[in-house]
Amino acid sequence: MASNKAAKRPPKTVSGFAILPLTLPSLPSLPSQCNDAKHYLYIKPHEPSHPDPDADRSLFISNVPFDANEANLRTLFAEQFGGLRVERVEFDGSVPAAPSWKRYKHAPVVSMAAGSSGRGRKRKRDEEVVAEGVVEDEESALPRVWKGELRPSGACAVVVFVDKASARGAWKEVRAAVKEGREIRWVGGEVVLGVQRYKQHHALTFPAKPLLQSSINAYLSQFTAAETARNRLRLKARSVPDEDGFITVTRGGRAGPARLEDAERKQKELEERRKKNGVKDDFYRFQTREKRKEREVELRKAFEKDRERVEEMRRRRGKVRVME
Amino acid sequence: MAAPVTKRRKLRHDSDNGSESEGEAGGVPSAPFDSGSHTPAFKEAQPKPSHTKSDLALQDGVYTSEVFKSNIFKLQVDELLDQVRFKYGKKTALVETAMRKIKTIIEQLPSREPLPIVDAETALRSEGVAVPFPNPRPPKDAKYKLQYERPSNINVTGSFPLKTATRTDGDFAIDLVVTMPKTLFQEKDYLNYRYFYKRAYYLACVAAGIQNSKAGYFKTSFDCLNGNQLQPVLVVHPSGDNGADDFSSSKCVVRILLAIPENTFPESKLRPGANCIRSQFASEEETSNAAGPTPFYNATLQSDVAVTPYLKLLHSAAAKCEAFKDACILGRIWLRQRGFGSRIRKGGFGNFEWAALMAVLLQPTPGAGTPPLSTGYSSYQLFKATLQFLVKHSLTRTPYGFNVRDVTFPKTNFAPVFFDGPRNLNLLFKMTPWSYSRLQNEAKATIDMLGDSTADHFESTFILKADLLTFHYDAVLRIPLSSLEVDPVSEDYDEALLEKLRSLYNTLTRALTDRVTTLDLLAPDHDTWEVALKRPPESQHKSVLVVLSTSPSNANRTVDLGPAAENKKEAASFRQFWGEKAELRRFKDGSILESVVWSVKDTSVPVMEQIIKFTLKKYISAQAAERASFTFDSYAAIIPSGRVQGQSGVFAFSARMNALANLEKDIRGLEGLPLQIRHIKAADPQLRYSAVDVDSMRTPASIVIQFEVSARWPDDLCAIQRTKVAFFLKLSDLLAEERPEYVTRVGLENQSSPSKNQAYLDIILPSGFSFRLRIQHEREATLLERQLKDKTLDNQSRESAASALAIYNRDYVHVPAHTQALQTLCTRYPALSPSIRLTKRWFASHLLSSHFSTELIELMVVRTFLQPYPWGVPSTATTGFLRTLLWMSRWDWRHVPLVVDFSSSVSAPSGELGTTEKANGSLGTQELQKIQTRFEAWRHIDPAMNRVVLFAATNLDNDGTTWSDRGNPEKVVAARMTALSRVATNVLRAHEDSLIAYMNGKGPGEDLNPFKPESLFVSDLGDYDIIIRLSSRFSTKSTKKTEPKFKNLAVQQGSLSEEDKRNVGYAPAALFAEDLRQIYGDAVLWLWNPENFDVIAGLWNPMVTARRSWKVKPGWNSMPQRSAKDKEGEEEDAGADIDINKGAICNEIKRLGGEMIASIELRN
Repeated sequence: MASNKAAKRPPKTVSGFAILPLTLPSLPSLPSQCNDAKHYLYIKPHEPSHPDPDADRSLFISNVPFDANEANLRTLFAEQFGGLRVERVEFDGSVPAAPSWKRYKHAPVVSMAAGSSGRGRKRKRDEEVVAEGVVEDEESALPRVWKGELRPSGACAVVVFVDKASARGAWKEVRAAVKEGREIRWVGGEVVLGVQRYKQHHALTFPAKPLLQSSINAYLSQFTAAETARNRLRLKARSVPDEDGFITVTRGGRAGPARLEDAERKQKELEERRKKNGVKDDFYRFQTREKRKEREVELRKAFEKDRERVEEMRRRRGKVRVME
Repeated sequence: MAAPVTKRRKLRHDSDNGSESEGEAGGVPSAPFDSGSHTPAFKEAQPKPSHTKSDLALQDGVYTSEVFKSNIFKLQVDELLDQVRFKYGKKTALVETAMRKIKTIIEQLPSREPLPIVDAETALRSEGVAVPFPNPRPPKDAKYKLQYERPSNINVTGSFPLKTATRTDGDFAIDLVVTMPKTLFQEKDYLNYRYFYKRAYYLACVAAGIQNSKAGYFKTSFDCLNGNQLQPVLVVHPSGDNGADDFSSSKCVVRILLAIPENTFPESKLRPGANCIRSQFASEEETSNAAGPTPFYNATLQSDVAVTPYLKLLHSAAAKCEAFKDACILGRIWLRQRGFGSRIRKGGFGNFEWAALMAVLLQPTPGAGTPPLSTGYSSYQLFKATLQFLVKHSLTRTPYGFNVRDVTFPKTNFAPVFFDGPRNLNLLFKMTPWSYSRLQNEAKATIDMLGDSTADHFESTFILKADLLTFHYDAVLRIPLSSLEVDPVSEDYDEALLEKLRSLYNTLTRALTDRVTTLDLLAPDHDTWEVALKRPPESQHKSVLVVLSTSPSNANRTVDLGPAAENKKEAASFRQFWGEKAELRRFKDGSILESVVWSVKDTSVPVMEQIIKFTLKKYISAQAAERASFTFDSYAAIIPSGRVQGQSGVFAFSARMNALANLEKDIRGLEGLPLQIRHIKAADPQLRYSAVDVDSMRTPASIVIQFEVSARWPDDLCAIQRTKVAFFLKLSDLLAEERPEYVTRVGLENQSSPSKNQAYLDIILPSGFSFRLRIQHEREATLLERQLKDKTLDNQSRESAASALAIYNRDYVHVPAHTQALQTLCTRYPALSPSIRLTKRWFASHLLSSHFSTELIELMVVRTFLQPYPWGVPSTATTGFLRTLLWMSRWDWRHVPLVVDFSSSVSAPSGELGTTEKANGSLGTQELQKIQTRFEAWRHIDPAMNRVVLFAATNLDNDGTTWSDRGNPEKVVAARMTALSRVATNVLRAHEDSLIAYMNGKGPGEDLNPFKPESLFVSDLGDYDIIIRLSSRFSTKSTKKTEPKFKNLAVQQGSLSEEDKRNVGYAPAALFAEDLRQIYGDAVLWLWNPENFDVIAGLWNPMVTARRSWKVKPGWNSMPQRSAKDKEGEEEDAGADIDINKGAICNEIKRLGGEMIASIELRN
């Protein structure tokens, strides 16, 4: 691979992305191939498919390192690209995955970023109705068991700068760095790795009991509020006919929805009773005859099926061979 | 039309007979006659042209369900018969020509004048042939003379002319029988080997004639017919010179047998009760009364007389009974797969005996009711009924006579007796008590499995090789022939050796009592020898093998109880047998018994071995005791507590189980819980005796608690989870009050999906055992099902509901049910728990276990126990494990589901195999059909097997995907399992072959056993792309605290420090591996051994990570390459390719793992 690289230098751009190689920290006990290994970022100005007011002050980065986070990307731009200021970074995935609630089809969609990095930011809870539970805030959420998120391999990020100028400056800087072949180092940091990460996780998995208790109290009171909101929604659904003119039967009606299972069971019982009282099916001669014919047909079918199966067996493993 | 009428009659007949099987009694012989239509004969005949083809097929379908086991079984049998049937054609024409030539040569041999023995021998020696006289050699001064005259008849006999030969045999022997003229013999020649000397001389003359003939060139050698030294035969091999007479390409040899006409000797003199070997010194009248009968000698002589009568019998049976020939072939295959043969040392029951037995059983006996077999039977019915006959009759104890008049059977005879009156021969005279008991056991096992209507068992009946020592037996004892101290050159060597073996069998059987369920002796085979030489003495480099199946609950018992002291006679016999070992002991219940106590101090020598060595020393020879080597449960040492202890295989788990029982009592005793407890269920391998590590204190064992139904729960999944947390807090407060010595902590999980279970309660007992409690709330399932159907939810949410429901069912329904089922089975089958644990160790050491749910592995082992056919239930960890391995190597999981019925039970191996019982809730044909349909549906919707690879259903869970959904394991891992198990079984087979070769004196020297069981557990890391070696501080092996000297004391005192308690469940290496899995998704397949975490190995997924054109989200860390199209590298933005960035990934892994990683290796 190394010789390959020497013969053909890697490309510097691809489909509008600037390819920025990052020098990785040198670490002990790695195979020799890794000594001069570089990490490659693919960067270009953000062009979201849905219009986004922040788009023109954002850069889109593909293939971020697994330990990238808002803090260390901020440092990267501040220290190695001439002090550019990053407002926030939105990632498209995390390890462990961010919590996700079940949602209604037509409920307002929350942007890609909100799920992962939105913790702590204020959210207008009344507008967002999830299908279950509540969208938690700091009080009602259970304590997190991991400190710091990791990125899945090859993840993407949107870096939002403080203003348009910084974003444009950053894009220029990046291209310049790529062109000049300036060395950019990936420092990482700001996330606990190694055995400390797991030690911490183990400790966090078992939070103090009072902390848990208060989180639950907060959650349950918010839950009551959310239930009220959901009930409102259901009420609306109950009174509004859909495009075919039917009114959807929903939970929370006066007498409660019909219990389908019960109805089915009753139906079955009734049929059972009818069967018992009805004419026995071997009463007439023709019935026995028909039954016999039916059975014959069944047997024939079963036989055909078996034959196919054996045929299929032969096809797949060849001739029957006695084990030697 | 006649056909429908017949059909109706047939149906009526069957309903009359009800459940009567096609077995023993036979019913009306003509009843299932129309079923004969399956035989080829039918096709030739085509009796009713009005039948369309499908009509015939239907008829087959209707009838085979009764006459054959099932349609599938019949179709497979048909195919098998087609495959194995001997093909007569060009190649056999060669051997036929050769036989004709041999016949002509023999017919043209000149007669030889009567000569005294010494002269006759010298004359032949000059022609290059040594007369193959049997032992004892003829006296030099004998008064009778030896003579050769033209044979009265030459004929082909055996399976070749009968067309029952099978192709699967190696070199096929065609029997040419030469009938000696009656005139050669005098009336008294049946006495004192005189017949056999004359016979030997006759054979030598034939040999000389063929060898020195100018008409044809053949190679010749002598052999003993069926290894019986009284009956030498001449084997004619192809010359191999590509000459005119060379028939090498037919892969046949011609055996020349000798026979004599009937009535040459008086029949009554050759019956089993008569004596034909008289002492030289006594006068005739005296000895015929005094000397014991000589049944073996008589039968051997009579078997020469009966050659032609049997040929006639077989031919007439084949003519009378259409299915006879097919049944013979089935019998041949069955016998062959079980290692039986006509040769004395192969058991003395081979193809001829099988065919003759069937033919005799087909004969009507006047006045004795219907014969056991009926001519109208199908081949399968004949086969099964013959086996049933063997099972039913203990011919060793009660002789069976067919058309017998005034024949007495000597009591001292050891062989089983099946006396064929018209032909005056005990068909089984070559059998030994042990070979007959093995035959019966095998027949019983086969009858049992054929009686199981839920599976077809075709494979285990005919295809599987059932006589593989490694898989069949629990223990093998190898005794060098030389240590038996029988002089190989003495005249009575064969008899003396047999006597020695008999005594070996008897004493071992007596000494081992109910510790063993079957005991068989395997003796080495005889060799052929050249015609110019005397029969060489048997090589003493050979060995005898004693193979044993043990009874798991008795095998390791340390005390053998004998008769009570007051029972004088039996006590004396007991004392005599055990010698100085016998002790008189007083037992707890007050009884005073003779007993033998075995040492348990030296655990390296199992009790079985001690007993065997003792017996060998006392009864065989000191040398035998010293040089015998004994292998028993040799894999058990690989896992802790691998050997079945005392009566149970689960003894090692009892401390943990007791701890659970106490905890349950404590929890149930709590007052002040808001809801009543309905169930507390175990849901962990540690609580179903299947965790490899018996007393690990590191991982909490999962249990599930279920409260009574209440309306006070919120009706929302997420809120339910929070309410559970509140419950745990309450529970832990209450426990802290009642049991302050317990450490409790609430742990959090599944934070990515708030509607799944969010929390659990860990309870750490002072003894060190810890439990992880989760709450099952049935409403969750209902809510999830509702979400599944709720059309107002978006698709993603519905999908997540589906997966959550599957997880709910698995964790709260199936795992507890599975645990309970396993608990029951492990107590019923003592060897199950160690077998499962050993198998898990195997999976772990090959880095497979992180891809298999532990339940799936358990099911594979349980299958070995519940469907053990063709063998019995395994009784040691070793057999359980090896048979599972064998099955895995043959499991075609692409096309066959694994189906386990927990409720089916094969009764424990107490000497005999029980029938398969069916309990409530067991799998019926319909459920099986359903499972099969579901399996086929999965294969239909997911033919590439991206989601479901292995399919395992049980009677508790018909889904089949509970343990293996979502690529667990993936196809590549499942294929690796198959490959690894194949390699392992091949190694085992090779080892067994070398053992057999050694037994036959052909192996390397004394130091056999270069094979170490551990070698099956060594993983080859060369196949992986990336290997991460963890620093020894973090691989779990070393974090395990040093074992205290007295484990039980430590457990009682509560040796866990605060630190240890905090660290229960802490496994950094496992978390690291899990991180890797999540970060690299499907780009890298990670494998590790969860038992010690010394290595994490990875494979790049070639489907995902192969070089491709650049894209924004390939899902893996990429490095750009100039695309192949852009050769110059000039053009900017011409598009680029990407490769997986292995260097950067290694760097990432090192960053993630930090000090946990000792080194990373990358394969190019």
